Amino acid sequence: MNMTERKPRIGIIPGDPSGIGTELIAKLLNVEEVSNSNDVLLIGDRHVFELGQAQADKGYDLYPVDAWKDDWINVPSFAHFENPTINPEEIVIGEVTLASGTSAMANLNLGLDLLRQGIIEALVFAPFNKEALKLGGLRFQDELHHMKDYLNYEGYITELNTLDGFWTSRVTSHIALKEVSDAINETRIINSINLINKTLKRSGVKRPRIAVAALNPHAGDGGNFGTEEIDVIAPSVKKAALKQIAVDGPWPSDTVFLKYKNNEVDAIVTMYHDQGQIALKLMGFDRGVTVLGGIPYPITTAAHGTAFDIAGLGIADIGAFRNAFELAGTMVMNWEQANG
Amino acid sequence: MICPETTIPSSGRLLLSEGNSSVIALTSGEPSGVGLELAFKAWQKLKGSHPFFLIADRSHVNSLEQTCPVIEIQSPENCLGVCEHALPFLHYQFPTSSIPGHYNPENAPGIVGSIETAVQFALDKRIAGICTNPITKEVFNHAGRKNYSGHTEFIAHLCGEDCPVMMLAGRKLRVVPLTRHIPLRSVHQGISKKLLKQTLEISLQSLRKDFGLQHPRIAVSGLNPHAGEGGLLGLEEKEIIEPVIRDFQIKGENVQGPFSADTMFHKKFRKTYDLAVSMYHDQALIPVKTLDFYKSVNVTLGLPIVRTSPDHGTAFDMARKGKARADSLIEAIKLASTIQRNRIKNARSPSPTS
Repeated sequence: MNMTERKPRIGIIPGDPSGIGTELIAKLLNVEEVSNSNDVLLIGDRHVFELGQAQADKGYDLYPVDAWKDDWINVPSFAHFENPTINPEEIVIGEVTLASGTSAMANLNLGLDLLRQGIIEALVFAPFNKEALKLGGLRFQDELHHMKDYLNYEGYITELNTLDGFWTSRVTSHIALKEVSDAINETRIINSINLINKTLKRSGVKRPRIAVAALNPHAGDGGNFGTEEIDVIAPSVKKAALKQIAVDGPWPSDTVFLKYKNNEVDAIVTMYHDQGQIALKLMGFDRGVTVLGGIPYPITTAAHGTAFDIAGLGIADIGAFRNAFELAGTMVMNWEQANG
Repeated sequence: MICPETTIPSSGRLLLSEGNSSVIALTSGEPSGVGLELAFKAWQKLKGSHPFFLIADRSHVNSLEQTCPVIEIQSPENCLGVCEHALPFLHYQFPTSSIPGHYNPENAPGIVGSIETAVQFALDKRIAGICTNPITKEVFNHAGRKNYSGHTEFIAHLCGEDCPVMMLAGRKLRVVPLTRHIPLRSVHQGISKKLLKQTLEISLQSLRKDFGLQHPRIAVSGLNPHAGEGGLLGLEEKEIIEPVIRDFQIKGENVQGPFSADTMFHKKFRKTYDLAVSMYHDQALIPVKTLDFYKSVNVTLGLPIVRTSPDHGTAFDMARKGKARADSLIEAIKLASTIQRNRIKNARSPSPTS
């Protein structure tokens, strides 16, 4: 196959139909480069996609296909694979409902099936509402852990966040701050480093430069304000560096983000939730992308949520969602190479 | 948000006409670090507007490459007469010479003594306030003092205060960390209702008195991710932070929170408060330094004297290379004099709320 002509095959699911997702999809598909340089498969209820077009006041044509059987690539407009998940009258804009959660889960599972069969190469989902997902049958703490289970994937997974080519991952995530110190260990740190290194390569960075943040103020100040840097983090970083990974640290977390601003690093591995999220959201609250790290297919979404407060109004910004879509395409084009 | 600079008079000369109530003493700090050379750079910028003098050892000052004219003065009262033409310095005898980039414990008594001298000038009201150059924490031990956990705690002790509050003030954000230099694993034990209450009281008072804000607005962060997510990710919000905030609200104060720390620092949110109070060091320092690395200033609240400092360290590796930036020191000196001006104004015409 001629690489210059190859286009990534990307599936899009509407996420929570009560949120801004359907509107974002309508806006995204009206961006010329999006339709020109990708093969898009829309998965879900036709009326949900049409609802988004009305909300955004931007139309696009849907071309019905059976993605399991049909050639959905060479079709005159956006290929649409109907998946009846919700009735139009069940959609309540801006609210958490069982019906919307069930719909989101059903589309996610079909998207994962299509990924597994190679029908699509990447999946982009519009924002989910966690509460609705739980009503709709999510049995895990989040969609990432559901995907791991659904795909029977055994490896290490973690949510990665990226903004304008800068990446963060975290060694611990949604746990109480007092539990963080005990949850930091060598295995988790090395897994985080390896995963972000691999994911960056899969997104086209040949030799990712990774900095690891410290846990304590002033990186523990030589042991005066905590010893995790000396006992755990520094030895873990050293071990990872032995495996041909360009990684260093631990660095004091109040200045480590300047390394990105000065273009010294591509990624920062943080120790806990707020450490990375504070800086990342400061640098570009509206544009961040979440990558489902570790999952053996490129899956991305906008870092923001369903934004129920502005759902249906047509004023949602597509910046982050468009970035998520474009990153999915980039990851498809670099995936094989990085694994080789 | 009102930036510190906005209250500085447009004509710097005004300050010079106010007598010694406008003079700031700048301490030597670690003589082998960048402090002294930054004083030279700061003088170039502030000579016509913000009078300050250095307290340092004569031989240390003379061993530096003289990037600006310097003049030795005998007392703080001599500063105003000369500071437009040269950087005034008051000699304080250190035990020995200093080698750039190399900490020498022998000089510890000099470092500590010059801080005590500056604090005493301020307590005696011979100057407007002090700005302190960075030191290493070991100096207190090496000077034979008890083990102070930092510069701020030592100065608070000299002033007879036991609950100093550290504020980081940048152009885009002011933030106070509730706990400071303790291991992350101890943070949840370090926060308490009592400490939060004291910190909020001191902060509100300072915003009124030092920053001239009649109706200060404070946003308090949570401790845990998503501010505890209703108790799922930790209970400190419900058990400690929320009740204290409520008490202040009942008293009519504009204190809000607890907010998720990862969303409360973005631009739109910052417009809704004058000060953020966060639970631990990096929760406060990450946003301040990420937003405004060079110009952030450290201010100690809750002291009878005005005290600011640049928010960087001794930077031994950069000493005498001429590359270190004086931005933070310059802002620190400016802010010290702004705070003193606000205090004077406030004393003359107390606002109805304070």
